[in-house]
Amino acid sequence: MKLIDALAIIRRPLAEDAPLLRGFLACGFTSLHLQTFLTARLRERSPLERVEVTTGLFGDLAGNIERIQIADCDVLVVAIEWQDLDLRLGIRNLGGWRVADLPDIVNSAERMIARLEKAIRNVAGSVPVYISLPTLPLPPLFTTPSVQASVYELQLRQFVTTFAASLATHPRIRFLNAQQLDECSPPSARLDVQSELLSGFPYQLPHASVLAELLAVLVRNPTAKKGLITDLDDTLWAGILGENGVDGISWHLEKAHIHGLYQQFLASLASAGVLIAVASKNDPALVEQAFEREDLLIDKRSLYPIDVHWGPKSESVRRILKTWNIAPDAVVFIDDSPMELAEVKAAFPEIECLLFPKADWQALWQLLRRLRDLFGKAVISDEDSIRLDSIRAAAALQHSSNGGGTSLDKFLEDAHASVVITFGKENEDHRAFELINKTNQFNLNGKRLNETAWRAYLSDPTTFLMGVSYEDKYGALGKIAILLGGLQGTSARINYWVMSCRAFSRRIEQRCLSWLFEHFDLQEISFDYQPTDRNKPIQDFLSNITAAPLNSDVRVSRMSFLEKCPPLSHHTKAMVNVNG
Amino acid sequence: MDNLDNRLVRCFSSVFPDLNEDQIRNASVDSVSAWHSLASVTLIALLQEEFGLQVNLADLPNLVSFSAVQNYVRHHHVAS
Repeated sequence: MKLIDALAIIRRPLAEDAPLLRGFLACGFTSLHLQTFLTARLRERSPLERVEVTTGLFGDLAGNIERIQIADCDVLVVAIEWQDLDLRLGIRNLGGWRVADLPDIVNSAERMIARLEKAIRNVAGSVPVYISLPTLPLPPLFTTPSVQASVYELQLRQFVTTFAASLATHPRIRFLNAQQLDECSPPSARLDVQSELLSGFPYQLPHASVLAELLAVLVRNPTAKKGLITDLDDTLWAGILGENGVDGISWHLEKAHIHGLYQQFLASLASAGVLIAVASKNDPALVEQAFEREDLLIDKRSLYPIDVHWGPKSESVRRILKTWNIAPDAVVFIDDSPMELAEVKAAFPEIECLLFPKADWQALWQLLRRLRDLFGKAVISDEDSIRLDSIRAAAALQHSSNGGGTSLDKFLEDAHASVVITFGKENEDHRAFELINKTNQFNLNGKRLNETAWRAYLSDPTTFLMGVSYEDKYGALGKIAILLGGLQGTSARINYWVMSCRAFSRRIEQRCLSWLFEHFDLQEISFDYQPTDRNKPIQDFLSNITAAPLNSDVRVSRMSFLEKCPPLSHHTKAMVNVNG
Repeated sequence: MDNLDNRLVRCFSSVFPDLNEDQIRNASVDSVSAWHSLASVTLIALLQEEFGLQVNLADLPNLVSFSAVQNYVRHHHVAS
């Protein structure tokens, strides 16, 4: 992005009531074009959001962070450069580069790092923080030739790395990946000496643009994909199962090693909660045998469903999506055949279809990098680790309730379901925030909340946050429903209500309302309802309990609800903190 | 008006969005209150980006009006 384009983006008109993101760019240099590029990149990523990026004083990075007014800031972006640790590590200051000065420079940098760490931790208690470590070269102040790393330089780098590794464990602090920055902005083309000396802005424009772009991605990262559907022959393994036989397929031999890497990568994704399924034109019995091989690098239990037949792959994909109950746009399909990719893409344009490069090792590297970007998540939650088990449990539940000749009442009773309700507000409830922002089907109105709005909502003393976790004999689903609303006398208003599709058909939605009616002795619950393209499940539910056309102010009386509520057999435990 | 002129007006317009084209052509440090040091630095960066110029520090005090910048760009752009 050129500076002129960034200025144009910033000046694009927006609705006056557009939500506002208030960012603070903390840096010790003149923020100038980095501020412009960062504002533009954030606008670009959230076109309907107003973005204001403010900055602090020149030459006082730590002080700028220490002085932040938390209430006026939604995100903190910190761009650290070496001179922020000690002015003598820059070129604007003439404090001395004598040999005798070097130990003092290192010591003072270490003290400044400690001060920065404390200040950043303090802010991160309330506001998400995004940090780039020094991107510019150290000046030639060390006595060694450039090719040799000075012990002082190594110590400085160690301090910075230790600082980052320590802070990165904090749930609200994220660091820009230096490797990614190096790939996009050559280190030798970053420092602008004249600009640094003339205006205190040390970056060449292309570097400022790239740095701002990556920081904006860090702040407004894209929603991660949820599932990957893979082919088998010449993809998960080398060889054609039907021709080479179970012992003829490979992934260890020199030529087949990229398939081993791919298996290892899929196992990594699965362990992070990504759903992995198989769509293959093959003999099901042979595939079953192939998956018995003990040297596979991905556990067969990590693959679900395994859909094997001789029909079109789009049929497999359709069945897999139904089993997973997720939308096509959350899925990646991988196959070595361009024809199969085209067939699936024609049926599901929203699916990202990627070619497995069976004969191009370099392309495999690019594929793995691409997949890491598509599936990467800032935080792995407990729910990620049980997602596949809960989908298997849902399938078992569906199978049992359909096939056993048992009524749903009896089936649910036998499931020994337990529901845990937490009623109270926790800023750090990452799962609740995630559910609000990714659930589509059982979603009261499709409204999303950015971190600013989330914090504002929770800080409002008149609102509540209700979370619901579920477990039955088929397995735990973790936290699967969130309700946000307010209580007033004998009525409640629900502004947000989402429930994971994994939790359907267990009468958890009825339990939520039943508990609210009973616990707070309510006479009426009203809903801030809006239809969306995808929220039919909640439309059906509300229609059923109101028995009236739905409008934006759906109201359900206690009596009406109790008349229509089916038997609820969950064991319910509640933890209530009304003031929390 | 030639292409170089158009590009130069576009650069000025990015820094001074409230000025129309006539006002830009007559703009100077004295007549435009928004033409402060920060605007100068941004303008120089835009010239650098748009025309591939490396503005010499010694020339900065002379770049105080649209016509001065125009002459500077014409001279250095043609020479480059």
